[in-house]
Amino acid sequence: MSVVNYGTREITCKIVYYGPGRSGKTTNLQHVYSQLPEERKGKMVSLATDTDRTLFFDFLPLDLGTISGFATRFQLYTVPGQVYYAATRKLVLQGVDGVVFVADSQSRQLAENIESLQDLHANLAEEGLDPRTLPLVMQYNKRDLPAGEISPIEELDETLNFRDVPYFSAIAVNGGGVFETLRSVASLVLSRLSAPAVGES
Amino acid sequence: MAKEPKKQDAEEEGGGEFDDFMADISQEIAQRVESLDTKPKAKPKPEERKKTPSVPDAGVIVDWPNIADRMIEEMR
Repeated sequence: MSVVNYGTREITCKIVYYGPGRSGKTTNLQHVYSQLPEERKGKMVSLATDTDRTLFFDFLPLDLGTISGFATRFQLYTVPGQVYYAATRKLVLQGVDGVVFVADSQSRQLAENIESLQDLHANLAEEGLDPRTLPLVMQYNKRDLPAGEISPIEELDETLNFRDVPYFSAIAVNGGGVFETLRSVASLVLSRLSAPAVGES
Repeated sequence: MAKEPKKQDAEEEGGGEFDDFMADISQEIAQRVESLDTKPKAKPKPEERKKTPSVPDAGVIVDWPNIADRMIEEMR
């Protein structure tokens, strides 16, 4: 995991949007992409395939320009939520700096949320990353659905957010909560920039 | 801690949210970079530098075949 490169004066942060299938991960990236000014609009890459042998994810590079002398880039990824794309999720998680867990607020999707969160922890551990300390933000999406179909925020948070990390309600389909979530995870990732330097000295 | 989502306004299309994000992140990065000690450490004065200890020729092994085997043997 390389976040800051003093040699080339670059800061690169890899943020992965994780969560069950159809929870709104790609919608988050699509909204970010839609808000980019033309001069910063690179290519949002979406790869789809039927088999796990081929990559299947979304990738949105965010070139933020030079900030305080450092060329700063955020790389936003989504993982395929479907259970059978396990190998791809592991691949995308390699070198991750921060995770947004996009939960589907629908009550009937609670089991899928839990399963995906457990899958995230298992894959992070396999990558040698500590699921208890990696920058993580929870997003409870689809809050625009009828109240009878979605779980209360408090219930979702009680069930999923045992680390007590920042959480946001969202309606990603119209952009609600998307940038708030991104800002929060970016802040958590950046707050760790100084930590290695202190420890290594 | 959860914040209510803001509805996407039509006039915000095309960069308004991103500009706010950039402003916040730029400030954050500036603070972090400032907190990092990026200055190279001062080199010690020549007289303070440690000299490589000299080893008498008698103590230098110039030829030791099968050294890996010997090391493994020592570790057992």
